[in-house]
Amino acid sequence: MTEKHPDYKDKIVHTVCNSHCGGTCDFKVHVREGKIIRIESVPEENGRPSMCLRGHAYRQRVYSPDRLLHPQKRTGPRGSGEFTRISWDEALDTIADEMKRIKTVYGNASLLHFCSMCDPHLLHHVLAFHSLLCSFGGYTAPWGYISCEAYAFAKGVTFGKSSKLRYSGHTPEEYLESRLIIMWGWNPATTEMGSNMSLSLARAREKGARIIAVDPRHTDSAAAFSDEWIPIKPGTDAAVMLAMVYVIIKENLQDQHFIDRYTAGFDKFKDYVLGLEDGVAKTPQWAEAIGGVQAATIADLARDYACEKSAILGSSFGPGRSAFGEEYHRVAAALEAITGKVKREQYAPTVKDFGLLPPFPFPPNKVEEGAPPRWNAVPSRGPSVNSSARVNVSSLTDAILKGKAGGYPADYKFMWLSNNNYLNQLGNINKAIEAFNKLEFILVTEQFMTATARFADIVLPVCTFLERWDIMPAMDVFSTKRSDFTILNKAIEPLGESKSQLEICQALALKLGIAGYPDQTDEELVRQMVAIASETKKSKSEEASKKEASISQEPQLRTPSGKIELSSGIAEKMNHPQIPAVPKYIETWESLNDPLADKYPLQLITPHFKRRAHSQFDNLPWLRELQVQAISINSRDAEARGIQADDMVRVFNDRGEVRIPARVTERIMPGVVAVPQGGWYSPDENGIDYGGSANVLTSNVISPGGSFVSNTALVQIEKVGK
Amino acid sequence: MMQYGMYIDQNRCTGCFACVVACKDWHDVPAGPANWISIKTTEKGRYPNLFVAFLPTTCYHCITPACVLACPVEAVTKRAEDGIVTVDQDACLGKTDCGQCLEACSYDAPQFEAGEDAKMQKCDLCIDRWAEGKKPVCVMACPMQALDAGPLDELKEKRGGARETEGFTYDETLAPSILYKPKKNPYNP
Repeated sequence: MTEKHPDYKDKIVHTVCNSHCGGTCDFKVHVREGKIIRIESVPEENGRPSMCLRGHAYRQRVYSPDRLLHPQKRTGPRGSGEFTRISWDEALDTIADEMKRIKTVYGNASLLHFCSMCDPHLLHHVLAFHSLLCSFGGYTAPWGYISCEAYAFAKGVTFGKSSKLRYSGHTPEEYLESRLIIMWGWNPATTEMGSNMSLSLARAREKGARIIAVDPRHTDSAAAFSDEWIPIKPGTDAAVMLAMVYVIIKENLQDQHFIDRYTAGFDKFKDYVLGLEDGVAKTPQWAEAIGGVQAATIADLARDYACEKSAILGSSFGPGRSAFGEEYHRVAAALEAITGKVKREQYAPTVKDFGLLPPFPFPPNKVEEGAPPRWNAVPSRGPSVNSSARVNVSSLTDAILKGKAGGYPADYKFMWLSNNNYLNQLGNINKAIEAFNKLEFILVTEQFMTATARFADIVLPVCTFLERWDIMPAMDVFSTKRSDFTILNKAIEPLGESKSQLEICQALALKLGIAGYPDQTDEELVRQMVAIASETKKSKSEEASKKEASISQEPQLRTPSGKIELSSGIAEKMNHPQIPAVPKYIETWESLNDPLADKYPLQLITPHFKRRAHSQFDNLPWLRELQVQAISINSRDAEARGIQADDMVRVFNDRGEVRIPARVTERIMPGVVAVPQGGWYSPDENGIDYGGSANVLTSNVISPGGSFVSNTALVQIEKVGK
Repeated sequence: MMQYGMYIDQNRCTGCFACVVACKDWHDVPAGPANWISIKTTEKGRYPNLFVAFLPTTCYHCITPACVLACPVEAVTKRAEDGIVTVDQDACLGKTDCGQCLEACSYDAPQFEAGEDAKMQKCDLCIDRWAEGKKPVCVMACPMQALDAGPLDELKEKRGGARETEGFTYDETLAPSILYKPKKNPYNP
């Protein structure tokens, strides 16, 4: 019911959304008598509100009947979801005893902890856990961004360490000024709701920009912004881009001045592209046969891109989440470099710049001490991430199953998962289940009984960000907040017995007998950090304004040659056939040429979904009613299988089976099917998933540079009736 | 007579649902069949030549509202001061016993929750927010700034706009208070 004469006096609390999209949108939270009654968006400086459907539904998340409000102890088999309520004291004692026992018996390396990276805040995040576990003698941490390790790898080998040069990741302001925009596997209308990227694309188009979508799907961004949709087979992006490079070189459209001045290895790259290295010229006809994009279309795209000075190649992380996704990002970087389109990053202050590091003790992680770098370490990722004592995030389950005998650094016995839903969100769920069942103890800190939490021995209830204080550093990814810091004000008291991540770490520090762990409240710590940051802020802002966003200001790059490397010295040193010195097209496993395609002839991709941020928000009624978790299949592929719209289908391969409705559509390439990732795994007694969890079907084999291959999987589909 | 209405730039709409959920949160409408605003998606063409358009659909506070005329108990009324069509739920007979408003409306604007005794509810153009000097929550929630609302003649002057767009046909009899910047279908100009 609408209140026609509002005479209430609500408390208004300003905070910033803290979800795994990375959007960091402003929240204006209306609180009445200690309860959130609504959440309103706040216009930014340009008048645009930055809050998506998920933010508007956050009240349902806070007050969801499914919220975990008390510590839970597992009573049934792992995965059964049978738990009983226990006290905090019992829960913490059990966890501390298990951690001490496992440390004593197997050593610190047997303790795994994973905290996913994209909830952008400081006090209740990875630093709190890392500090605690390092103070406990160390632990095994994973390496690898699930979202964008291929990008990080490509950037590192091409531009070197700490480079402010960038490709992809252009700012909304730059798009606004562009005359030709290529959205390559990029769907900002769905994946970047927190920034004004979509608005910039719409405005660019209104100003006459031509926008082209290169994507296996006719995405909502393609629908809203593009003049042209160029469908492309998954995993073939590098081939089609290399053919663009071929046309540019053959027709002498490259920016030779830029190449001569700022790049190294062009001749070697050119030899590969022209076929002098391997006898295969990377012509548009060659790429057409691989990627399904017509040769003439590729040639036109190459000419238009090279000749339009303001053209932007918007290459997204999505195609990089593929076997050899590193090469896609490397070719994209090369394409930008040879056309002189690489830019310098605007100065982005770091957490350290502002003195925003929380006052946690940070002893070194002893598990990583003395361990040499991984064979595929890229210097830009830093010594800790590069340590061979770490395990790639996608390989954790394999490492648990095989341990030292399988070549991993340790045998793993204990796992603590916080701020993530590992089982649901990494490749090959059925293998992950096998691995989870092998562990001696699993601790999950969560808000809901997720697929991951169901496998825990103890689940600790964590409050939402609206129930605690925190602080967020400046961000330049996805978010429009590029300066200073933002305080996340607490809106309400934690529900039930739920606690913040920091409180959980503090309580465990006491039980584990760790000295020096901060015992202040989150509010006190925030005030302390703000006081320090305010002092350093002013001088840093002045310094920042003096820096120009021009490549001519870039000092020598920290690559072996000191330049942008079109032939990478770092990659060459790895001496691995699948990490070549020059960026190449390497055919993926599970491509349509794989013998496995006889059995499983459809390429599965697992894109983002508007109503979720990965697996977050899948359980909220306001959001569930907006989009059906279904598999998108082209009408031709559906017809060949007797599948009609909304038919229930089984999607399967050797890794597992999912049963969901079919979305029969023209908006996906024939031969390609898409299951939005993040659906909550809901198996029946035979392990068949009815939640539409895409990772039942994906693989956990990593790409050589460490990329999660969530878009490399073959499947078959059959109708199972309405 | 003053008439409030809405303006929608269909070219801007990405179908993001921010308006839909913002409306449900602001007006405390539970999940279910009652939606004061929803997104209609039009998909035309065959692979790979496609035209797809999104369109927020809601109550258009018609100049001659069929729902007001159809209601046997005068539960639905058109306000003289701003032309906004509102419903008195206490007076409403409900969908099962009556449902005349829904039958009369060409645009399916009257909304009902599930259940036998569901009373009519629908968009009231955020009367409560206008009273605080704020535009409707859908307008303020749109990250694409595709929506606007206000006195229709002012909107017309400021924004221009057409009476029809992809997915919406203007009903001369009802005279809905809505203006569009239409999205053009290149295959059906």
